[in-house]
Amino acid sequence: MMLARVADSLYWTGRYVERAEHLSRLSAVMLNATLDRTDVAGQAARIALSAVGDQVGHESLQAVESARGLVLDRSGGGSVVVSLSRARENARQVRDQITSETWERLNLVYLRTGDGSAEADFEEDATGFLQAIIADLHLFKGAADATMSHGEGWRFMMAGVYIERAQLMARLLKVCFSRGQSPALSDHMALLSLLRMACALEPYLRVYTADINARFILEFLLFDKEFPRSVGFCTARIEENLASLSQGRETDRDSGRGDPLRLAGRLNARLSYADVEEVEATGADALLAAVAAECAAIHQAMYETFVAYPLEQRLPA
Amino acid sequence: MNGSRTVEEQRSGSPGRAGYRPGAAYDEMFAPDGSTRPHYQTLRDRIDTLGAEELADRQQTLERSFLLQGITFTVYGAETTTERIIPTDLFPRIIPAGEWATIEAGLIQRLKALNLFLADIYGEQKILMDGVVPRDLVLGAPSYRRQMQHLYVPHQAYVNVCGSDLIRGPDGGFAVLEDNLRVPSGVSYMLANRDASRRTFPGTFRQAGVRPVERYPDLLLSALKSMTSEWRPNPQVVVLTPGVHNSAYYEHAYLARLMGVPLVEGRDLAVHDNLVFMRTTAGLRRVDVIYRRVDDDFCDPLSFRRDSELGVAGLFNAYRAGSAVICNAPGTGVADDKAVYVYVPKIIRYFLGEEPILPNIETFLCREPAQLSHVLANLDTLVVKAVGASGGYGMLVGPHATAAERATFAEALKADPANYVAQPTIQLSTAPCLVDGAIEPRHVDLRPFILSGDKVVVTPGALTRVALKRGSLVVNSSQGGGSKDTWVLAADETAAAPAAGEEAVSEEAAPGP
Repeated sequence: MMLARVADSLYWTGRYVERAEHLSRLSAVMLNATLDRTDVAGQAARIALSAVGDQVGHESLQAVESARGLVLDRSGGGSVVVSLSRARENARQVRDQITSETWERLNLVYLRTGDGSAEADFEEDATGFLQAIIADLHLFKGAADATMSHGEGWRFMMAGVYIERAQLMARLLKVCFSRGQSPALSDHMALLSLLRMACALEPYLRVYTADINARFILEFLLFDKEFPRSVGFCTARIEENLASLSQGRETDRDSGRGDPLRLAGRLNARLSYADVEEVEATGADALLAAVAAECAAIHQAMYETFVAYPLEQRLPA
Repeated sequence: MNGSRTVEEQRSGSPGRAGYRPGAAYDEMFAPDGSTRPHYQTLRDRIDTLGAEELADRQQTLERSFLLQGITFTVYGAETTTERIIPTDLFPRIIPAGEWATIEAGLIQRLKALNLFLADIYGEQKILMDGVVPRDLVLGAPSYRRQMQHLYVPHQAYVNVCGSDLIRGPDGGFAVLEDNLRVPSGVSYMLANRDASRRTFPGTFRQAGVRPVERYPDLLLSALKSMTSEWRPNPQVVVLTPGVHNSAYYEHAYLARLMGVPLVEGRDLAVHDNLVFMRTTAGLRRVDVIYRRVDDDFCDPLSFRRDSELGVAGLFNAYRAGSAVICNAPGTGVADDKAVYVYVPKIIRYFLGEEPILPNIETFLCREPAQLSHVLANLDTLVVKAVGASGGYGMLVGPHATAAERATFAEALKADPANYVAQPTIQLSTAPCLVDGAIEPRHVDLRPFILSGDKVVVTPGALTRVALKRGSLVVNSSQGGGSKDTWVLAADETAAAPAAGEEAVSEEAAPGP
């Protein structure tokens, strides 16, 4: 039992931290690809920008320019610095619920990317700057794991992390493997970029050896049970966290609202018991669309169940 | 921070006794003959062994740790919003046991009397009928809340948390400058400064025998619980904050975290059938005690200011109905009114039959025509304050003001004399501070924190506020003041300094956070 507003803020802290990490990684891979002479840089930029929903004129944009926008743009909603500042603002509003160790990690990243200093650091050594942010965010998650009670608040934060991650991964895979996507992703270097964007290169190699193959990659990033960024891994964690959050809470049978645990269970079952052959034969579009839609539905159901419920329904007997 | 200071300047500033010139005011560290006061000896010896660079280094470490922990206040500019740390000085201010015993007894006596005074003016009003305090002064004050009349307050503890401002005058005695009875803040700095000074001077801290302040959150929680435990065993306590944009938000979160209770905003609470609830993930839960860090006016739009969105509609009615307690009680501000202040010694004699242990500062009430003309004739030596204002706003420090400023203020005084009081300009005591690499005297005051519930307790420590500008007497953080840690010693003198070598080993700066 915790304050509804606090639960909501912790959930959003998790989401924004995950988003900042993902955007940092996409940008870092994009910048790295510019070092190659082939058109990989263009492809990597196309993947990255489509994966964050940026559709405008990306053909003409230089990879460096795109990365700068993804990292530093303070006006729009979807850059690394904005995500970090929102994560930190949410954490600050529930400062009493987060251990000092956890808070200080996040505050440190925020201070490092404050006005002015982020721009200068990015110009000086963009890759180093992005890697430092990613490392700091790993420290944040580590500190949260090691110092916070794994109770309700932590569960809300983790639910935020995994819902965000499932959505981001689904979008990244959709960009690369959608049937309507042209040109189809086949280039070896582009596939490597994709694995790097998913932080999956080394774990992938361990399973499939250096056989870089679009079919295996899709299978790995969708269904692998052990890789923490596969969609299936994320949906399992979403269900697990919601099961813990829903313990001892009777479901609102009469209200007709979606029960978040039921939605999470169904989504996880879709991934756990999916027919791999069928996905390979017909494409992953339907499954990826379902992941995106159901994550959104879980998000909404959590909000209505735990945060913005009508007072009259929940008065103590 | 130290950005503007060059290394060269840091080196040239000579620390230690050589560059230190206390003025006419009482100095906390040095006696008038130049010798070190005995309770400062350990610290003095330690400072002498540190170079200017090392002091600057420790100062920087301290500031960085404050920034990292987010112990900041928010400054709202025209375009950007920045967070700043409150300037914190690394040298502790030290108070020997004997002096503290007097302060403690004086504070307890004063708060007991003020609580009895509040119970009386919201009850039978005997003190007004006996003519000890003028009726119109109390009942006419904007901070007097008629809504509070004849309302049962457990233990007659209207003021649960009090943060009095004490000053030490040129004669070396402490006096009360202000009683802060509304929503006093600063206690988180007392605790955070202590954390920092334990790291900055670990060896000295251990040797000096400093009394701990760390029990404060525990004592606060039991004072708050005692307000309702008679009829609600195991009460649910919450801290009510105006929100993350409030300048003291850090403190609200800090206290909630250390007490282990929820930090709520107005929108987290709801009142239903005169019961107060908070919205949790598992539905609504009863709330029994609300430690509110929101002003009276903003507590409840139904009972106080209608345009406020910070409070909870119906909260005051729930309080009247006895189902929840608001701490501090609304309406306590009338007792720390700058005009009522003049009568506090009489209030102590009236209710307790004792002589005040801590004196007041001599104060002229401008509402009395004779005193007004005295004030107008002596504007260049007096400090004039608006009765309702706080935080160092709306005041005139006569000796530091220009003739034109004094003339403007005189007009305001004549137009509304009842709104002003005046006090002689007191040279607050000075304490050594690290300023731009050199050790210089700066004026300080003392804000200890007194808790009252089923009993009255004073935490042995305080926030020492520092006027950072040379010669300035205004210590408020809103006016460029800083702070430092306050060590209350268990004994009158610190232990004799050990051999230099031993000290050097024990005094390795502890690792940062």
